[in-house]
Amino acid sequence: MPPLLVINPHNGVPAYRQLMDQLKLQIATGVLPAGAELASTRALSTELTLNPMTISKAYNLLEREGVLERRRGQTLVVRDRPRAAVATDKLAHLREHLAAAATMATQLGISRPQALKLFRETLAAPTPKTPSSP
Amino acid sequence: MSIFSSFARAPSESPAPTIATPPACAASVFTANRVMKIYGEHIALAGITLSIPAGHVVGLLGRNGAGKSTLLQIAAGLVLPTYGTCHTLGCRTDLLDSPELTRLGFVMQEGKFIEWMTVAQHLAFTASFYPRWDHDLQRRLATQLEVPIARKIAELSPGDRQKVGILLGVCHRPALLLLDEPMSALDPIVRRRLLDVLLERLRDDACTIVISSHLLNDVEKIVDWIIALDAGRVVENSSLDDLQESFAEWTVTATDAAPLATFTEPFIVAQQRTDRQARLTVRTSAPDAAEAFATTHGVGVQTRRLSLDEMFPLLLAAQPAISAP
Repeated sequence: MPPLLVINPHNGVPAYRQLMDQLKLQIATGVLPAGAELASTRALSTELTLNPMTISKAYNLLEREGVLERRRGQTLVVRDRPRAAVATDKLAHLREHLAAAATMATQLGISRPQALKLFRETLAAPTPKTPSSP
Repeated sequence: MSIFSSFARAPSESPAPTIATPPACAASVFTANRVMKIYGEHIALAGITLSIPAGHVVGLLGRNGAGKSTLLQIAAGLVLPTYGTCHTLGCRTDLLDSPELTRLGFVMQEGKFIEWMTVAQHLAFTASFYPRWDHDLQRRLATQLEVPIARKIAELSPGDRQKVGILLGVCHRPALLLLDEPMSALDPIVRRRLLDVLLERLRDDACTIVISSHLLNDVEKIVDWIIALDAGRVVENSSLDDLQESFAEWTVTATDAAPLATFTEPFIVAQQRTDRQARLTVRTSAPDAAEAFATTHGVGVQTRRLSLDEMFPLLLAAQPAISAP
């Protein structure tokens, strides 16, 4: 079962960037475990109706970042990395989301203690935004 | 001269002339060197120099009359430049012959066909010019794009005519495929299938595709290179990734009581503002530009990327501030 990737061509974020972000998130959350094989450039290009160059660009950059590695010829797999590196990646993901929240807090004029309290409360009882989720 | 101009440049069986042509850059499928095209009083192309790198899907953008069709017709050798020289597939466009023309596909905005033929007859006729015509591909595409193969060309709807044009331009598996507004009369389902068809050509033949279109939302999925024309000039020639990563909209919010200053950074393309908030359109490839800006002015900055639709008017606006470094 190939992991679910959704590329939005109209949100202004380059497609290769969206692909990298989603693959990294899937790796960080364990959806794609170490050693998992990635779909071929060709297969993924067909599935997502994306330029194959876009996909190889994303794959090559992830390989250069040490997230993926090429095995026996062409097969790309998720690299088995030290736990510390994986943990750093996870924090980086969260930091990205928090940075947007921090800017919003500043714009709304919410004080730091208030914002931190809210984050603590949200961690304890996350309220999903989507109305369809149970 | 043939009665149907789309075949006026159909490849002849005569051997290619052995005139030495200056070698074009190996990685370019098309180059234009100071090309002007003048029709009477009208300047269609006002001195264009560019090269189209091989293996890309190029979106040729511009308003009506910007010179898109003229440039494509020049690339196909259907029209010769008034001044300047062009090379297509390494050959000067006034000398294009069988070796190049059999590797060139051109889908015109309003294809000129032999009206009394059925679609099937027309396909067979055109196929006879091309030794490498792929009949399997033709059958598959006819099904995929829902082409009414038994109908007479004269009886076809504009959408079906456009589909026939695509089949005629693609089935010889060209190395360079030029498409002039290929989707204007197609419904969204067929448009989507056409993108699949083009991507398949890209994967199987590694061809170069140049596609002019007003429907930016459609081509945005597959193009990776943008050439924008305005009033016969090239105003943009860069990869879509680079464009998307350089343009952004910043929402700037004052963090203290003082009203916002007027911002004069050279990378600001446009700004709308009130005392407390400003919306800036910026073009900069510095990754930390927003953070640096926030620090310098003591403001909050939220950034948002722009879609091709939103970038389009900015590319055409001839503002010195947006000229690439």
